[in-house]
Amino acid sequence: MATVTVEQILETIEKAKLVQDINTLDHSKPLTEQGIDSLDFSGVLFNIEEAFGIEIPDDDIDGLQTINDILVYVNNKV
Amino acid sequence: MIAITTIGKYLPENRVSNLDLLEKFETDELFIRDKIGVVQRAQKAPEEKASDLCIKAFENLLSKKSLDKSTVDCCIVVTQNPDFNIPHTSAIVHGALDLPESCACFDISLGCSGYVYGLSIVTAFMEANAFKTGLLFTADPYSDIIDPEDKNTALIFGDGATVTLLEENQPGLVALGYDFGSKGAGYKNLVNEGKLYMNGRAVFNFSAGVVPKSIEKLLQKLNLEKTEIDQWYLHQGSKYIVDTITQRLSLEPEKVVFNMYDYGNSISSSIPMLLSEDLSNFKQGQKFGVSGFGVGLSWASAIFEMK
Repeated sequence: MATVTVEQILETIEKAKLVQDINTLDHSKPLTEQGIDSLDFSGVLFNIEEAFGIEIPDDDIDGLQTINDILVYVNNKV
Repeated sequence: MIAITTIGKYLPENRVSNLDLLEKFETDELFIRDKIGVVQRAQKAPEEKASDLCIKAFENLLSKKSLDKSTVDCCIVVTQNPDFNIPHTSAIVHGALDLPESCACFDISLGCSGYVYGLSIVTAFMEANAFKTGLLFTADPYSDIIDPEDKNTALIFGDGATVTLLEENQPGLVALGYDFGSKGAGYKNLVNEGKLYMNGRAVFNFSAGVVPKSIEKLLQKLNLEKTEIDQWYLHQGSKYIVDTITQRLSLEPEKVVFNMYDYGNSISSSIPMLLSEDLSNFKQGQKFGVSGFGVGLSWASAIFEMK
Protein backbone atom coordinates (compact mmCIF):
# COMPACT_ATOMS: atom_id res chain seq x y z
CA MET A 1 0.00 0.00 0.00
CA ALA A 2 1.13 3.55 -0.74
CA THR A 3 2.74 5.54 2.04
CA VAL A 4 0.33 7.56 4.15
CA THR A 5 1.32 11.23 4.12
CA VAL A 6 1.08 13.80 6.86
CA GLU A 7 -1.43 15.64 4.67
CA GLN A 8 -3.71 12.60 4.74
CA ILE A 9 -3.47 12.45 8.54
CA LEU A 10 -4.29 16.15 8.82
CA GLU A 11 -7.14 15.80 6.33
CA THR A 12 -8.65 13.03 8.47
CA ILE A 13 -8.50 15.22 11.56
CA GLU A 14 -9.96 18.15 9.61
CA LYS A 15 -12.86 16.07 8.28
CA ALA A 16 -13.78 15.13 11.82
CA LYS A 17 -13.97 18.84 12.71
CA LEU A 18 -11.96 18.27 15.85
CA VAL A 19 -9.75 21.35 15.51
CA GLN A 20 -10.53 24.79 14.18
CA ASP A 21 -7.44 25.09 11.98
CA ILE A 22 -5.22 22.10 11.29
CA ASN A 23 -2.52 24.39 9.87
CA THR A 24 -1.80 25.68 13.35
CA LEU A 25 -0.95 22.22 14.71
CA ASP A 26 2.67 21.60 15.68
CA HIS A 27 3.44 18.12 14.35
CA SER A 28 5.93 17.34 17.09
CA LYS A 29 3.92 18.60 20.06
CA PRO A 30 1.37 16.42 21.89
CA LEU A 31 -2.14 17.05 20.57
CA THR A 32 -3.46 17.26 24.12
CA GLU A 33 -1.22 20.34 24.58
CA GLN A 34 -2.79 21.99 21.52
CA GLY A 35 -6.40 22.33 22.59
CA ILE A 36 -7.43 18.72 21.95
CA ASP A 37 -8.89 17.25 25.13
CA SER A 38 -9.15 13.58 26.03
CA LEU A 39 -12.52 13.10 24.29
CA ASP A 40 -11.36 14.87 21.12
CA PHE A 41 -8.25 12.69 21.18
CA SER A 42 -10.50 9.60 21.21
CA GLY A 43 -12.25 11.15 18.22
CA VAL A 44 -8.93 11.66 16.42
CA LEU A 45 -7.96 8.01 16.94
CA PHE A 46 -11.41 6.79 15.87
CA ASN A 47 -11.22 8.74 12.63
CA ILE A 48 -7.66 7.55 11.96
CA GLU A 49 -8.76 3.92 12.51
CA GLU A 50 -11.70 4.36 10.19
CA ALA A 51 -9.85 6.28 7.46
CA PHE A 52 -6.90 3.87 7.23
CA GLY A 53 -8.67 0.62 8.12
CA ILE A 54 -6.50 -0.10 11.16
CA GLU A 55 -7.15 -0.91 14.80
CA ILE A 56 -5.31 0.99 17.51
CA PRO A 57 -5.22 -1.05 20.74
CA ASP A 58 -5.43 0.86 24.05
CA ASP A 59 -1.89 -0.29 24.87
CA ASP A 60 -0.51 1.64 21.88
CA ILE A 61 -2.08 4.99 22.76
CA ASP A 62 0.70 6.22 25.06
CA GLY A 63 3.03 6.23 22.05
CA LEU A 64 0.66 8.28 19.92
CA GLN A 65 0.91 11.78 21.30
CA THR A 66 1.84 13.85 18.25
CA ILE A 67 0.97 14.07 14.55
CA ASN A 68 4.43 12.66 13.80
CA ASP A 69 3.82 9.71 16.18
CA ILE A 70 0.53 8.98 14.43
CA LEU A 71 2.12 9.24 10.97
CA VAL A 72 4.84 6.70 11.78
CA TYR A 73 2.37 4.40 13.53
CA VAL A 74 -0.15 4.41 10.68
CA ASN A 75 2.56 3.70 8.11
CA ASN A 76 3.76 0.75 10.17
CA LYS A 77 0.21 -0.61 10.34
CA VAL A 78 -1.11 -0.23 6.80
CA MET B 1 -52.64 0.44 16.12
CA ILE B 2 -50.70 0.95 19.35
CA ALA B 3 -49.48 4.49 20.07
CA ILE B 4 -47.45 6.27 22.74
CA THR B 5 -49.97 8.66 24.21
CA THR B 6 -48.42 10.03 27.43
CA ILE B 7 -45.08 9.77 29.21
CA GLY B 8 -44.57 10.35 32.93
CA LYS B 9 -41.17 10.96 34.49
CA TYR B 10 -39.48 11.19 37.84
CA LEU B 11 -36.19 12.80 38.78
CA PRO B 12 -35.07 12.75 42.41
CA GLU B 13 -34.86 16.29 43.83
CA ASN B 14 -31.38 15.73 45.23
CA ARG B 15 -28.60 16.96 42.94
CA VAL B 16 -24.84 16.38 43.09
CA SER B 17 -22.80 19.05 41.31
CA ASN B 18 -20.01 18.09 38.94
CA LEU B 19 -18.60 21.59 39.37
CA ASP B 20 -17.61 20.62 42.90
CA LEU B 21 -15.43 17.84 41.48
CA LEU B 22 -13.34 19.85 39.01
CA GLU B 23 -10.21 19.77 41.17
CA LYS B 24 -10.63 16.15 42.21
CA PHE B 25 -10.81 14.96 38.61
CA GLU B 26 -8.45 17.61 37.18
CA THR B 27 -11.00 18.91 34.70
CA ASP B 28 -12.68 22.24 33.93
CA GLU B 29 -16.16 23.68 33.60
CA LEU B 30 -15.99 23.93 29.81
CA PHE B 31 -15.29 20.21 29.54
CA ILE B 32 -18.11 19.42 31.97
CA ARG B 33 -20.65 21.53 30.06
CA ASP B 34 -19.58 21.15 26.44
CA LYS B 35 -18.17 17.64 26.34
CA ILE B 36 -19.85 15.62 29.09
CA GLY B 37 -22.99 17.76 29.13
CA VAL B 38 -23.79 17.05 32.76
CA VAL B 39 -23.46 19.93 35.22
CA GLN B 40 -25.27 18.19 38.03
CA ARG B 41 -26.58 14.69 38.58
CA ALA B 42 -29.92 13.59 40.02
CA GLN B 43 -29.33 11.17 42.86
CA LYS B 44 -31.93 9.10 44.66
CA ALA B 45 -31.93 8.41 48.39
CA PRO B 46 -29.82 5.30 49.20
CA GLU B 47 -32.88 3.34 50.34
CA GLU B 48 -34.89 4.09 47.17
CA LYS B 49 -35.13 1.23 44.70
CA ALA B 50 -35.96 1.05 41.01
CA SER B 51 -39.62 0.28 41.81
CA ASP B 52 -39.88 3.40 44.00
CA LEU B 53 -38.69 5.53 41.09
CA CYS B 54 -41.19 3.83 38.76
CA ILE B 55 -44.07 4.51 41.14
CA LYS B 56 -43.18 8.20 41.28
CA ALA B 57 -43.00 8.36 37.48
CA PHE B 58 -46.47 6.81 37.40
CA GLU B 59 -47.76 9.55 39.75
CA ASN B 60 -46.42 12.08 37.25
CA LEU B 61 -48.20 10.24 34.43
CA LEU B 62 -51.49 10.46 36.34
CA SER B 63 -50.98 14.21 36.76
CA LYS B 64 -50.97 14.46 32.95
CA LYS B 65 -53.72 12.03 32.07
CA SER B 66 -56.39 10.18 34.02
CA LEU B 67 -56.09 6.41 33.77
CA ASP B 68 -58.35 3.68 35.10
CA LYS B 69 -55.77 1.28 36.56
CA SER B 70 -58.17 -1.65 36.21
CA THR B 71 -57.79 -1.36 32.42
CA VAL B 72 -53.98 -1.86 32.37
CA ASP B 73 -53.21 -5.06 30.45
CA CYS B 74 -49.44 -5.15 30.88
CA CYS B 75 -46.71 -3.62 33.02
CA ILE B 76 -43.12 -3.92 31.84
CA VAL B 77 -39.98 -2.55 33.50
CA VAL B 78 -36.69 -1.97 31.68
CA THR B 79 -33.89 -2.18 34.25
CA GLN B 80 -30.51 -3.75 34.95
CA ASN B 81 -30.57 -2.55 38.55
CA PRO B 82 -33.72 -4.26 39.80
CA ASP B 83 -34.92 -4.10 43.40
CA PHE B 84 -33.91 -7.77 43.75
CA ASN B 85 -32.60 -10.49 41.44
CA ILE B 86 -35.77 -12.37 42.33
CA PRO B 87 -38.55 -11.36 41.72
CA HIS B 88 -38.86 -9.13 38.68
CA THR B 89 -39.29 -5.45 39.52
CA SER B 90 -42.44 -5.18 37.40
CA ALA B 91 -44.18 -7.48 39.89
CA ILE B 92 -43.27 -5.11 42.73
CA VAL B 93 -44.54 -2.15 40.70
CA HIS B 94 -47.71 -4.10 39.88
CA GLY B 95 -48.37 -4.71 43.57
CA ALA B 96 -47.58 -1.16 44.65
CA LEU B 97 -49.87 0.34 41.99
CA ASP B 98 -52.63 -2.17 42.73
CA LEU B 99 -52.90 -3.17 39.09
CA PRO B 100 -55.41 -5.91 38.18
CA GLU B 101 -54.55 -9.62 38.39
CA SER B 102 -55.17 -9.89 34.67
CA CYS B 103 -52.20 -7.58 34.04
CA ALA B 104 -49.11 -9.29 32.54
CA CYS B 105 -45.75 -8.28 34.06
CA PHE B 106 -42.17 -8.86 33.02
CA ASP B 107 -38.81 -7.10 33.07
CA ILE B 108 -36.48 -6.38 30.19
CA SER B 109 -32.77 -6.52 31.03
CA LEU B 110 -31.24 -3.89 28.78
CA GLY B 111 -29.40 -0.62 29.37
CA CYS B 112 -29.30 2.43 27.13
CA SER B 113 -30.95 0.68 24.16
CA GLY B 114 -33.72 -0.63 26.43
CA TYR B 115 -36.40 1.95 25.81
CA VAL B 116 -36.39 1.48 22.04
CA TYR B 117 -36.27 -2.31 22.37
CA GLY B 118 -39.02 -2.07 24.99
CA LEU B 119 -41.33 -0.09 22.73
CA SER B 120 -41.06 -2.72 20.00
CA ILE B 121 -41.52 -5.62 22.43
CA VAL B 122 -44.49 -4.12 24.26
CA THR B 123 -46.22 -2.97 21.09
CA ALA B 124 -45.88 -6.44 19.54
CA PHE B 125 -46.97 -8.09 22.81
CA MET B 126 -50.04 -5.89 22.99
CA GLU B 127 -50.97 -6.48 19.36
CA ALA B 128 -50.48 -10.25 19.67
CA ASN B 129 -52.81 -10.39 22.65
CA ALA B 130 -55.33 -7.71 21.65
CA PHE B 131 -54.34 -5.59 24.67
CA LYS B 132 -55.57 -2.02 24.75
CA THR B 133 -53.47 -0.41 27.51
CA GLY B 134 -49.83 -0.99 28.43
CA LEU B 135 -47.25 0.61 30.72
CA LEU B 136 -43.55 0.60 29.84
CA PHE B 137 -41.32 1.73 32.72
CA THR B 138 -37.62 2.57 32.58
CA ALA B 139 -35.56 2.86 35.78
CA ASP B 140 -31.87 2.12 36.16
CA PRO B 141 -30.53 3.73 39.34
CA TYR B 142 -26.81 3.73 38.61
CA SER B 143 -25.89 5.65 41.76
CA ASP B 144 -25.91 2.27 43.53
CA ILE B 145 -23.11 0.92 41.31
CA ILE B 146 -20.95 3.95 40.52
CA ASP B 147 -17.46 4.19 41.99
CA PRO B 148 -17.24 7.86 43.06
CA GLU B 149 -13.47 7.76 42.50
CA ASP B 150 -13.75 6.67 38.85
CA LYS B 151 -13.55 9.70 36.55
CA ASN B 152 -14.82 7.63 33.59
CA THR B 153 -18.22 7.10 35.20
CA ALA B 154 -18.60 9.37 38.26
CA LEU B 155 -19.47 12.52 36.28
CA ILE B 156 -21.99 11.09 33.84
CA PHE B 157 -24.89 9.12 35.26
CA GLY B 158 -28.02 10.32 37.05
CA ASP B 159 -30.98 8.52 38.58
CA GLY B 160 -34.50 8.77 37.23
CA ALA B 161 -37.45 6.85 35.86
CA THR B 162 -40.12 7.16 33.20
CA VAL B 163 -43.36 5.44 32.33
CA THR B 164 -44.78 5.38 28.82
CA LEU B 165 -48.48 4.82 28.35
CA LEU B 166 -49.24 2.80 25.22
CA GLU B 167 -52.83 2.69 24.03
CA GLU B 168 -54.76 1.19 21.18
CA ASN B 169 -56.42 3.48 18.63
CA GLN B 170 -55.57 6.75 20.35
CA PRO B 171 -53.71 9.75 18.91
CA GLY B 172 -50.00 9.46 19.62
CA LEU B 173 -46.60 8.35 18.39
CA VAL B 174 -46.64 5.25 16.23
CA ALA B 175 -43.54 3.36 15.15
CA LEU B 176 -42.86 3.24 11.40
CA GLY B 177 -39.92 0.87 11.78
CA TYR B 178 -36.98 -0.28 13.90
CA ASP B 179 -33.36 -1.33 13.52
CA PHE B 180 -31.62 -3.44 16.16
CA GLY B 181 -28.14 -4.79 16.68
CA SER B 182 -25.58 -6.19 19.11
CA LYS B 183 -21.82 -6.52 19.47
CA GLY B 184 -21.74 -8.99 22.32
CA ALA B 185 -18.00 -9.51 21.96
CA GLY B 186 -17.58 -6.01 23.39
CA TYR B 187 -19.61 -6.55 26.58
CA LYS B 188 -16.57 -6.18 28.85
CA ASN B 189 -16.25 -2.52 27.87
CA LEU B 190 -19.28 -1.63 29.99
CA VAL B 191 -19.83 -4.04 32.83
CA ASN B 192 -20.88 -4.12 36.47
CA GLU B 193 -18.56 -6.27 38.54
CA GLY B 194 -19.54 -4.89 41.91
CA LYS B 195 -18.93 -1.38 40.57
CA LEU B 196 -19.49 -0.08 37.07
CA TYR B 197 -16.51 -0.25 34.72
CA MET B 198 -16.52 1.59 31.40
CA ASN B 199 -13.84 1.71 28.72
CA GLY B 200 -14.81 5.16 27.49
CA ARG B 201 -12.83 4.99 24.26
CA ALA B 202 -14.26 1.61 23.28
CA VAL B 203 -17.83 2.71 24.03
CA PHE B 204 -17.27 5.93 22.08
CA ASN B 205 -15.88 4.02 19.08
CA PHE B 206 -18.81 1.63 19.21
CA SER B 207 -21.40 4.41 19.39
CA ALA B 208 -19.80 6.66 16.76
CA GLY B 209 -19.42 3.66 14.47
CA VAL B 210 -22.74 1.84 14.69
CA VAL B 211 -25.39 4.47 15.43
CA PRO B 212 -25.04 6.50 12.20
CA LYS B 213 -25.07 3.27 10.20
CA SER B 214 -28.14 2.01 12.06
CA ILE B 215 -30.02 5.24 11.40
CA GLU B 216 -28.99 5.34 7.74
CA LYS B 217 -30.08 1.73 7.31
CA LEU B 218 -33.45 2.38 8.93
CA LEU B 219 -34.13 5.49 6.85
CA GLN B 220 -33.28 3.54 3.71
CA LYS B 221 -35.60 0.71 4.77
CA LEU B 222 -38.44 3.16 5.31
CA ASN B 223 -37.59 5.12 2.15
CA LEU B 224 -37.21 8.32 4.15
CA GLU B 225 -34.71 11.16 3.88
CA LYS B 226 -33.01 12.61 6.94
CA THR B 227 -34.62 15.96 6.11
CA GLU B 228 -38.07 14.40 6.57
CA ILE B 229 -37.38 13.82 10.25
CA ASP B 230 -38.55 16.73 12.39
CA GLN B 231 -36.57 15.96 15.53
CA TRP B 232 -33.96 13.50 16.70
CA TYR B 233 -33.84 11.98 20.18
CA LEU B 234 -30.52 10.20 20.59
CA HIS B 235 -29.55 8.47 23.82
CA GLN B 236 -27.91 11.12 25.98
CA GLY B 237 -24.66 9.24 26.53
CA SER B 238 -22.65 12.46 26.66
CA LYS B 239 -22.82 15.72 24.76
CA TYR B 240 -19.70 14.67 22.90
CA ILE B 241 -21.22 11.47 21.53
CA VAL B 242 -24.50 13.18 20.60
CA ASP B 243 -22.52 15.91 18.80
CA THR B 244 -20.32 13.30 17.09
CA ILE B 245 -23.31 11.32 15.78
CA THR B 246 -24.98 14.58 14.68
CA GLN B 247 -21.86 15.54 12.74
CA ARG B 248 -21.31 12.10 11.21
CA LEU B 249 -24.91 11.96 9.99
CA SER B 250 -24.81 15.61 8.87
CA LEU B 251 -27.98 16.28 10.85
CA GLU B 252 -29.11 19.83 11.43
CA PRO B 253 -27.92 20.49 15.01
CA GLU B 254 -31.11 22.38 15.90
CA LYS B 255 -33.09 19.21 15.14
CA VAL B 256 -31.09 17.12 17.61
CA VAL B 257 -32.35 17.37 21.17
CA PHE B 258 -29.79 17.52 23.95
CA ASN B 259 -30.70 18.28 27.53
CA MET B 260 -29.35 16.40 30.49
CA TYR B 261 -27.26 19.22 31.99
CA ASP B 262 -29.40 19.26 35.12
CA TYR B 263 -29.73 15.52 35.85
CA GLY B 264 -27.26 13.34 33.91
CA ASN B 265 -27.36 10.28 31.70
CA SER B 266 -30.36 8.32 32.95
CA ILE B 267 -29.62 5.18 30.85
CA SER B 268 -32.84 3.67 29.43
CA SER B 269 -34.77 6.71 30.68
CA SER B 270 -32.78 9.25 28.68
CA ILE B 271 -34.95 9.23 25.54
CA PRO B 272 -38.41 9.08 27.21
CA MET B 273 -37.23 11.73 29.72
CA LEU B 274 -36.89 14.16 26.78
CA LEU B 275 -40.00 12.92 24.97
CA SER B 276 -42.10 13.41 28.12
CA GLU B 277 -41.45 17.16 27.86
CA ASP B 278 -42.05 17.47 24.12
CA LEU B 279 -44.77 14.92 23.32
CA SER B 280 -47.72 17.25 23.92
CA ASN B 281 -46.30 19.72 21.36
CA PHE B 282 -45.92 17.20 18.53
CA LYS B 283 -48.19 17.77 15.54
CA GLN B 284 -49.91 15.17 13.43
CA GLY B 285 -47.69 13.95 10.60
CA GLN B 286 -44.40 14.95 12.24
CA LYS B 287 -41.71 12.29 12.30
CA PHE B 288 -39.16 11.61 14.99
CA GLY B 289 -35.97 9.56 15.04
CA VAL B 290 -34.71 7.84 18.19
CA SER B 291 -31.66 5.71 18.89
CA GLY B 292 -30.52 4.05 22.10
CA PHE B 293 -27.04 2.52 22.40
CA GLY B 294 -24.70 1.27 25.10
CA VAL B 295 -24.41 -1.72 27.45
CA GLY B 296 -24.15 -5.02 25.62
CA LEU B 297 -22.93 -3.56 23.42
CA SER B 298 -26.40 -3.03 22.06
CA TRP B 299 -28.29 -0.56 19.91
CA ALA B 300 -31.81 0.09 18.69
CA SER B 301 -33.10 2.86 16.44
CA ALA B 302 -36.65 3.72 15.43
CA ILE B 303 -38.65 6.26 13.49
CA PHE B 304 -42.02 7.39 14.85
CA GLU B 305 -44.84 9.40 13.35
CA MET B 306 -47.39 11.43 15.25
CA LYS B 307 -50.81 10.05 14.30
